[in-house]
Amino acid sequence: MQLVLGFFADIGGMALFSLEVVRTWLRTFGQNGSLIVEQIALVAYRSLVTILFSGFFVGAILVIQFHLMLSKYDAVTLLGGLNTSATIREVGPLIISFLLAGKVGAYTAAELGTMRVTEQIDAIRCLGRDPVQYLIVPRFIAIVLCSLLLLVFGVLVGVAGSMVVAVELYNMNFLQYMESIPRFTGIWTIIAGVFKSLVYGLIVAAVSTYKGYFASGGAQGVGRAVTECAVYTNLLIVFANSFTSYFLENVQQFVNNTFGGF
Amino acid sequence: MAISFKNVAKAFGQKKVLDGVSFSVETGEVLFILGKSGMGKSVTLKTTIGLMKPDRGEIYVHGEAVHTASEHTLAQVRKKCGMVFQHPALLDSLTIFENVAFGLETKNRERVIECLKLVHLDESILNRKPQEISYGMQKRVSLARTLAPGPQILLFDEPTTGLDPITTNAVNELIAELSDRLNVTSVVVSHDMGCALRIADRILVLDQGNILALDTVDRIKSSSEPLIQDFLREAL
Repeated sequence: MQLVLGFFADIGGMALFSLEVVRTWLRTFGQNGSLIVEQIALVAYRSLVTILFSGFFVGAILVIQFHLMLSKYDAVTLLGGLNTSATIREVGPLIISFLLAGKVGAYTAAELGTMRVTEQIDAIRCLGRDPVQYLIVPRFIAIVLCSLLLLVFGVLVGVAGSMVVAVELYNMNFLQYMESIPRFTGIWTIIAGVFKSLVYGLIVAAVSTYKGYFASGGAQGVGRAVTECAVYTNLLIVFANSFTSYFLENVQQFVNNTFGGF
Repeated sequence: MAISFKNVAKAFGQKKVLDGVSFSVETGEVLFILGKSGMGKSVTLKTTIGLMKPDRGEIYVHGEAVHTASEHTLAQVRKKCGMVFQHPALLDSLTIFENVAFGLETKNRERVIECLKLVHLDESILNRKPQEISYGMQKRVSLARTLAPGPQILLFDEPTTGLDPITTNAVNELIAELSDRLNVTSVVVSHDMGCALRIADRILVLDQGNILALDTVDRIKSSSEPLIQDFLREAL
């Protein structure tokens, strides 16, 4: 029971902390430009290769699975459409965000946690600067923006990867693979992929900055913060996946019923 | 009066770290706070500068109520107070120049070099990162960073922890020298009775959340309290 209460207390803490970060960002808008750019460059640099590799193989794995099933029903011509839709809408953002959580989230939690236990954050306050403005806002904004861009980029690489595998392994024609894509992949698929990427990016940013900033108890405390960051991020991303899928489905239905779809 | 504590209490769970502590520090004075580990020495410093809120009691720094202050007021108080932490607490991603200039309104190179000279360091390290200099030098840079904005009060949290005896002496001499040259009020949390006897104006001994003794060096030397006797034996 205490574990569950602790979990929800942490979620509340993260939500309040994220609100404070956003408030600080708006209050000091334009003052952190160079720090944000620096963090974006760092996050992108750290994650790009991982995202490229993982994106490619996510597409490859999916195409192998779909081919296995579709070939039983002699429906291999649908491979491109189904695979692209699943990659953009579900599997791509999900798996890539897990990797991003492990890479960027863990790094951020460890970095901030170390700064906390070695009193660097207290020193910043003592020198008259706001650590939330100086440390958290740039990292938070950079993680959200980069997560969104990297996830979208990773998904595109995933789509390309699946295409390469389909052409090379299953001797599919490139045009044949592309043909079914418009049948399964519309504007809603892209909206879902981008929306989910944004939500997952927010989760990685909120959890990693919160866990790092409030770390305590020396090296052991930093270790705990990083572990909790990994567990919370992955759990919340899975929860968010269910909610966003359900939410987007309903929004799509509502729009289609009200406006006749687009 | 530079700092005033009135009936200040602070507990962590069941453990009372400060239990109604009252004392004051005069302007220009060097006060050493001694005590065993976990007796509330660092908490005293952190509550002085508003890094921790006391559970009850009043704290004033140059007449400003810290215990009820908003973050904005605390930022003003912190401009008057400089704190040197147990760890050097330098920002790893910044150079020595950027670290020392961190608390300055404008990144004034002359001021940075002046502060480095105060702690007996020269400008050759300006472009290095903290991890590229020794731990003792990092401690000195940390002190230079604290001095840069020109604080009227200096708070030292175990400034010689982790240093070898020679560097320890150098840092202690530096504290005395800075108090003399800059006429700042200094509050030093330490285990080092020897250093306290040499450079303190008064010594405060904390035990079990209460003040065991607060007196001049001469009177502390003649105290019959067992804990103070232990500290004195250690110093001799």
